[in-house]
Amino acid sequence: MTDAKATLIPPGENSFRLGAYLGRGGYEAARTTILTKKPQDVLEEVKKANLRGRGGAGFPAGSKWAFVPQADDRPKYLCVNADEGEPGTFKDRAIMARDPHLLLEGIILACYAVGIRTAFIYIRGEYEAIARRLEEAIEEARQKGFLGPDIFGSAFALDVLVHRGAGSYICGEETALLESLEGKRGWPRLKPPFPASVGLFRGPTVINNVETIANLPLIFRYGADWFVGRGLPRDGGTRLFGVSGAVKKPGLYELPVGTPLRKIIYDWAGGPAEGQAIKAVVPGGLSAPFLTPDEIDVPMDYESLAHIKSMLGSAGIIVIGDRTPIIDILKIVARFYAHESCGQCTPCRIGTAWISKIADRMGAGGGVPGDIDSIRHLAEGMKGRTLCPMGDAAAFPVLSIVDKFGQELAEMISR
Amino acid sequence: MSFSLSAEGAKRVEALVRRYPKMQAALIPVLHLVQREKGFISPEAEEWVAATLGIPALQVREVLSFYTLLHREPVGRYVIQVCRNISCYIAGSEDILNHLEKKLGVRAGETTADGKYTLITVECLGNCDHAPCLMVNDDDYGPVSRDAVDGILMGLT
Amino acid sequence: MSGTPAVTLQIDGQGLQVAAGTTVLRAAEQMGIVIPRYCYHPAFEPEGSCRMCLVEIEGLPKLDLACSTVVREGMKVWTSTPKVLQARKDVLEFFLADHPLDCPICDKAGECWLQNYYDQHGRYASRFLEFKEKKGKKVPIGKKLILDRERCILCTRCVRFLRRVTKTGELGVFERGVKAEIGIDGGADIRNNYSGNLVDICPVGAITDGDFRFKTRVWFLKNGRSVCPRCSRGCNIVIQSVRGYPLPGRQRKIYRFLPAENPEVNGFWICDFGRYGYHDIEDNRATAIAVNRGGPAAGRGADWDGILKGLAAELGAMAGAGAMSRVAVVLNSFLTNEELAACRKIFVEALGIQKIFFADPKPGEGDGSLLTADRAPNGRGAAALGYTARVPDLEGLAGSTDLLIIFGPHLMDHSAADAAAAALGGVKKKYLFTAHVSGLDSAVDVVLPTSLPAEKRGSFTNVDGIKQFFECAVAPLRGSLPESEILARLAAGLGVTLG
Repeated sequence: MTDAKATLIPPGENSFRLGAYLGRGGYEAARTTILTKKPQDVLEEVKKANLRGRGGAGFPAGSKWAFVPQADDRPKYLCVNADEGEPGTFKDRAIMARDPHLLLEGIILACYAVGIRTAFIYIRGEYEAIARRLEEAIEEARQKGFLGPDIFGSAFALDVLVHRGAGSYICGEETALLESLEGKRGWPRLKPPFPASVGLFRGPTVINNVETIANLPLIFRYGADWFVGRGLPRDGGTRLFGVSGAVKKPGLYELPVGTPLRKIIYDWAGGPAEGQAIKAVVPGGLSAPFLTPDEIDVPMDYESLAHIKSMLGSAGIIVIGDRTPIIDILKIVARFYAHESCGQCTPCRIGTAWISKIADRMGAGGGVPGDIDSIRHLAEGMKGRTLCPMGDAAAFPVLSIVDKFGQELAEMISR
Repeated sequence: MSFSLSAEGAKRVEALVRRYPKMQAALIPVLHLVQREKGFISPEAEEWVAATLGIPALQVREVLSFYTLLHREPVGRYVIQVCRNISCYIAGSEDILNHLEKKLGVRAGETTADGKYTLITVECLGNCDHAPCLMVNDDDYGPVSRDAVDGILMGLT
Repeated sequence: MSGTPAVTLQIDGQGLQVAAGTTVLRAAEQMGIVIPRYCYHPAFEPEGSCRMCLVEIEGLPKLDLACSTVVREGMKVWTSTPKVLQARKDVLEFFLADHPLDCPICDKAGECWLQNYYDQHGRYASRFLEFKEKKGKKVPIGKKLILDRERCILCTRCVRFLRRVTKTGELGVFERGVKAEIGIDGGADIRNNYSGNLVDICPVGAITDGDFRFKTRVWFLKNGRSVCPRCSRGCNIVIQSVRGYPLPGRQRKIYRFLPAENPEVNGFWICDFGRYGYHDIEDNRATAIAVNRGGPAAGRGADWDGILKGLAAELGAMAGAGAMSRVAVVLNSFLTNEELAACRKIFVEALGIQKIFFADPKPGEGDGSLLTADRAPNGRGAAALGYTARVPDLEGLAGSTDLLIIFGPHLMDHSAADAAAAALGGVKKKYLFTAHVSGLDSAVDVVLPTSLPAEKRGSFTNVDGIKQFFECAVAPLRGSLPESEILARLAAGLGVTLG
């Protein structure tokens, strides 16, 4: 990226400090917007930018905001989803650690657009050091009048509070996040009603991912057209692609939406690790169906990945090399979802544990030929039947493994 | 009630409770606070938190049993969390785990007899480009080798 | 219903109209289609966690929950397509995977929703090869309730009942994923007066009642509807009993009360005080006529006919001698409206007896919900018939009474046995009609065994003035008679027409 200003992750050790942020032109977009534009204009601009959610679901942010009823007396809330539990995903951590004020400015813009006066950043409990940095940044911003009772001297007031999670992947699901924030177990809620009408403390609530919000100051600094131009017409901007696993240069790469996956893996992440060939690629966080090596020419945008029956999700790319037996991957995937299942609804509660038991038994040498079919049957049994998307999340990768790598599993069983 | 926090801790609890329209929402932040001060959340602490927030103690316990970062039993001064998810596994997390188990003389899930270390395995810590990674209390480490692990342990007083 | 907008929709190809706001599940019920469910209970808001009630709604890509989806105009619902049937099978398979093979020793067998739904919607070959989760199997959670965590399907009905109905919240859900379990987790156990309902609403044998445990099999039980007699609420109940096989001979045994739903009276529930009152039907029963002294019945033969004829004759003679002021009758509020009306005709109108008293159990404490302070079922019925319920002063009675007819043992609630005996010593002749043995038996001349409300028909008027008719729910004990029959024979003997 050539323009140091137009990036989500600025270089430099002290990039997170307010002084550095102001030096990059920080808070100017928010100031101008609040003092000269109407909330409806902000919403329209975001719609124009085709900013899609970067947490996993890819829902257009502007549309989501538009669901919030404006003529409503109840207090409205913004929850910034900083739970980042999807394996292979480490982008929000970088934004918050290196550019917390970018996130805060984005929060100001979002809240102004929707009429929100209180925003919570729900951050996973493991990110304690980052939570403290956010709190320091909030204090810095308050001191300067960028947050608080009269922002930039206007009538707009906003409070941002950091709220820590305590070790639960499911609390990254938006309604489980609300339950957790309200001090309860992370059991997702039945939808409808949707959070936009009944959310936090039963008020209208918008929940957006960190990266989604962090893009807002850039959209308002440089314009929606600029943003769309950086990506694709239907899916604007850049994504922070996190690459990890069996690659030479694991890391975070900010690239236009639509960059081909092969390019990201080979040109940016250095290609597969020494002495290994690619066996499988997770394209969008663990909950996305796995790809085979001949599927990695796919452009990394929502539609293209949906077209090959996978998903962009959180853009967490994990490269699995041929030195790793696929059964080990299956075991880890199954164990992860079984461990994180909240237990509320039957298919996920039982299905994830059952699949995990089968995978462990297979890995320990006790596999029987019917196991692959059983796993497929159980994953299909969870798909589309659960109270929250975690059922699908648990089913997709498992199904892709038994469908695309079933041969290797069958050979392992027969040995 | 026999349980109490330090003056500073009590002040911070009050500030936390004021932040939310419903007191129950302060539960997890307050539990974190209690755990930071006392190391874990005892039955007396549960009762105190329940009374402070005006919620049944049963609901405090329900929440405690759901979240993995909150401990109902004493843990070591240093809680070592070793990630075993995909990227870390590929990078050799199992070897690191074995090394730590041998070095500390405990299995994953246990606390050393001197109360210094608790070793636990966890799912993705969100640090995948530094695999294999682990955390010691609030600090991230990664990528770690066996030597690096030894160095970390030596630095923990 | 007028004024509520109506919605027209189709279920399984058939059109129907329901009130706006009705869920698909309730709309289907109106058509006689019962969609399987576990977590849904009409007393609570939909929960949506069991996933058994998934149905196909035209135009939607995924199956949707019937329990929580509200009908929309023109909606087309399909409850038995292959997709739906497969989903039910699969969800059942998940439920049964970790479920222990306890049927041979589980009380719920025969009324278990896992069994029933497997029979109707399952019938697949199990493919579970793993070790089942091991959890606590005999966890006492309060009163006589026992929790079996392995059987629990986490429908959370019990948790929600205690949070929303009794508002006591003794149970919670702990841990997560497949390790999730219900419990009190070292907190206060269940002590409230509605704990028995937990056993009813648990769809499986996870919560069982120590009072019922291992005593019988539900397929032997016969149902009889009645009204609970233990307070003035008049909760509708089902009395479950066995007569004959598998008991020896023609032996009769009552096993439990269950609530019968009545939106106007008790809703879905009954209280424990009433529920466990089924023991009254069997414990301490007066089973045979007892003549204590060589008194009035001695020469006539100690049988119903003889004694009642004799009593009628005595009453007739005293009436003729103008001595009705020397006669006293003690009634009670367990008598049906019909029996109390007959008493009125005989004792008040025909015989002109003025010393009419009531002996009911002493009032207890109402629990603010169903249980009333008044611990008799028909106080309001008695008042409506013009009776003034007053407990007799036994000593005062003794001096002024030659013939005392007592219905029910509840005089003992108001004086000790020896005090009663001492006071009644002065009354020449005392007849006691009672269902239960009490200290009064030795203080009277003749004890005649009567039936209980469960064993007769009639009506009670409850605390809110609702008159409820009930039929005989269990066969009466041999040798006992219902008061209605006793009064009919007395009336015949006195020449009184009851009409």
